[in-house]
Amino acid sequence: MAQVVLKDLIKTYGSVYAVNNVSLTVNDGEFVALVGPSGCGKTTTLNLVAGLIPITGGDIVIGDRVVNDLDPKDRDIAMVFQNYALYPQKSVYNNLAFPLQMRRLPKDEIDRKVRDAAKVLDMTHLLERKPRELSGGQQQRVALGRALVRDPAVFLMDEPLSNLDAKLRVQMRSEIKRFHQDLKATIIYVTHDQLEAVTMADKMAVMNGGFLQQYDTPAQVFAHPLNMFVASFIGSPAMSLVPLEASTANGMSVLTSAEGWALPLSPLNARKVAAAKSKKIVLGARHSTIKLHKSAQPGAIPAKVYTVEPTGDVTFVQAFLSGSLVNISVPPAVHVAPDEQVWLEFDQDRIHLFDGETEMALHAD
Amino acid sequence: MTSISNNQAPRSRRRIDGWRWTGRIFLVLMLMYTALPMIWMLLTSIKSGFAAMQFPPQWWPSEPTLASYQKLLDPQNSVGQDFLRFFWNSLFVSVCTTVLAVFVAVPAAYAFSRFTFPGRQFLFFAVLLRNMFPAVIFLVPLFILMRVLGLVNTHGSLILTYLTFGLPLAIWLLKGFYDNIPIQLEQAARIDGATRFQAFLLIVMPLSVPGIIATAIYSFIGAWNEYIYAATFITKNEQLTLPVGIQRFFSENTTDFPGLMAASFMMSVPVVVLFLLLQRYFVRALTEGAVKH
Repeated sequence: MAQVVLKDLIKTYGSVYAVNNVSLTVNDGEFVALVGPSGCGKTTTLNLVAGLIPITGGDIVIGDRVVNDLDPKDRDIAMVFQNYALYPQKSVYNNLAFPLQMRRLPKDEIDRKVRDAAKVLDMTHLLERKPRELSGGQQQRVALGRALVRDPAVFLMDEPLSNLDAKLRVQMRSEIKRFHQDLKATIIYVTHDQLEAVTMADKMAVMNGGFLQQYDTPAQVFAHPLNMFVASFIGSPAMSLVPLEASTANGMSVLTSAEGWALPLSPLNARKVAAAKSKKIVLGARHSTIKLHKSAQPGAIPAKVYTVEPTGDVTFVQAFLSGSLVNISVPPAVHVAPDEQVWLEFDQDRIHLFDGETEMALHAD
Repeated sequence: MTSISNNQAPRSRRRIDGWRWTGRIFLVLMLMYTALPMIWMLLTSIKSGFAAMQFPPQWWPSEPTLASYQKLLDPQNSVGQDFLRFFWNSLFVSVCTTVLAVFVAVPAAYAFSRFTFPGRQFLFFAVLLRNMFPAVIFLVPLFILMRVLGLVNTHGSLILTYLTFGLPLAIWLLKGFYDNIPIQLEQAARIDGATRFQAFLLIVMPLSVPGIIATAIYSFIGAWNEYIYAATFITKNEQLTLPVGIQRFFSENTTDFPGLMAASFMMSVPVVVLFLLLQRYFVRALTEGAVKH
């Protein structure tokens, strides 16, 4: 196993930056998830590390070698593809043996390693089958087996679970996690599913528009999103963002809405707002931190219910607040109806404040 | 109630039957259209010369004989010598054309499918330009070209000409096959330790076998049956190919129809054998199970 370092990695197509100055370090044995919406550059980044496409600028270091110009075969990596990419003309056995055959290992050693890998993945009985005779989950296992059969320095995984049905996905998720723990493998895992990233990864790299937005542990990313994009991307349902205006009333710092109400701020939040470059402030709050009242309360802000979605455990309520939709979760016992007038109370310790112009999280100086 | 359902059921069944019978009649007609000339060719080839010219025709030869085949396949007499030589010439030209077409079309189609290079689009359509004109248009220019190259009366002139006809379609056909082979298979192979060329050779090539076979058959039949260029470029008797050769030596004084039909029949044998041997490759979808969509 080895560590992977990306230094100012750039990939351009014509004038378009697919990957823009991405720098990050994946430590030895770490599981890092690259997450972001479609077209954010996460798969391109993975392909650059794999060497499947040439880099435009920067450096890729695997172990202690700069691998910028090395062929994929010389980078000591293994990759699991979204569509598995099994060799259809080869049996499962030969699919697993292929990477070893290409490295000209002795026949008996190949046989031993293939059978070991098959045993680990519980598919010894499938070795003579062709990929088309396997179910989706079994194909996925073969793809995983082909990667782990040769002990690479780094595992690259490109949305390996997204073609599985929901139940199998949950099962394979825990298997991959287990596999990471047992092998102490360095894994770079691309996914657009933030739930996969949060549940499996040691660290997550959130990407958007070719830029690395934030690189930290899932807990940190969830609790302290660096900017509005990360805030709205991580978490389900998404963090609600309400654009407001900073001002003072009776000597107190408040956020005012065009609807006429004002939200008083705690001293810490007031200092954050004071650090902003403009008066435009975006208020962010996760659904679980907002309290819903059915009557006016001191400090609560009026809003109008838009939709109500009971899920059994909790009921998600969407309400219009100053022109933005806000997600709130309430116990199933609370009954509200669309178009009902409600009052929302924000937890001052758990709200997020963003600069409306730079979209960056605000910090108290 | 029962009477109503009884009335309706046969009516709808009759309608479906009507369509089915129309379809069957159509298929039978098509079969007769393609098979009857072949059957008549076979029947005539085992008649005597006199029986072949009788009117009303003998539907079944009264004295079936293999004399025509014996004559054609006997290297001792002049007819047999010519026929065998023409057959060999045709085989040589067709096999060379086929091998060269596959040899050039495979890498060309792969390049068009996988690489981006300047002028790719233009080249790809330029390849088809030749096929926009009837073949005869190029007869005179190509003849002049062959004369300049000193290739008139050689098999090289035919092989080159057949390639200019066969290659464009071969490239198009094969490109379609390569487009359908997921690029991730090659990427996986390259990560698994193969060079780009090994990935092509070990993973992509076996998967494109149906395409290569279709291309080969197409090139082979095109070269095997071609008449007008062979008749123009080749004048020496010992260089003639079968389509021209058959016509030459059977129609000079009196036409020996059984002999002509026997030669025609034997000319169709390699094509049929080729199809029978290779058809199973068309049926299989080789990439099944490679990727999950």
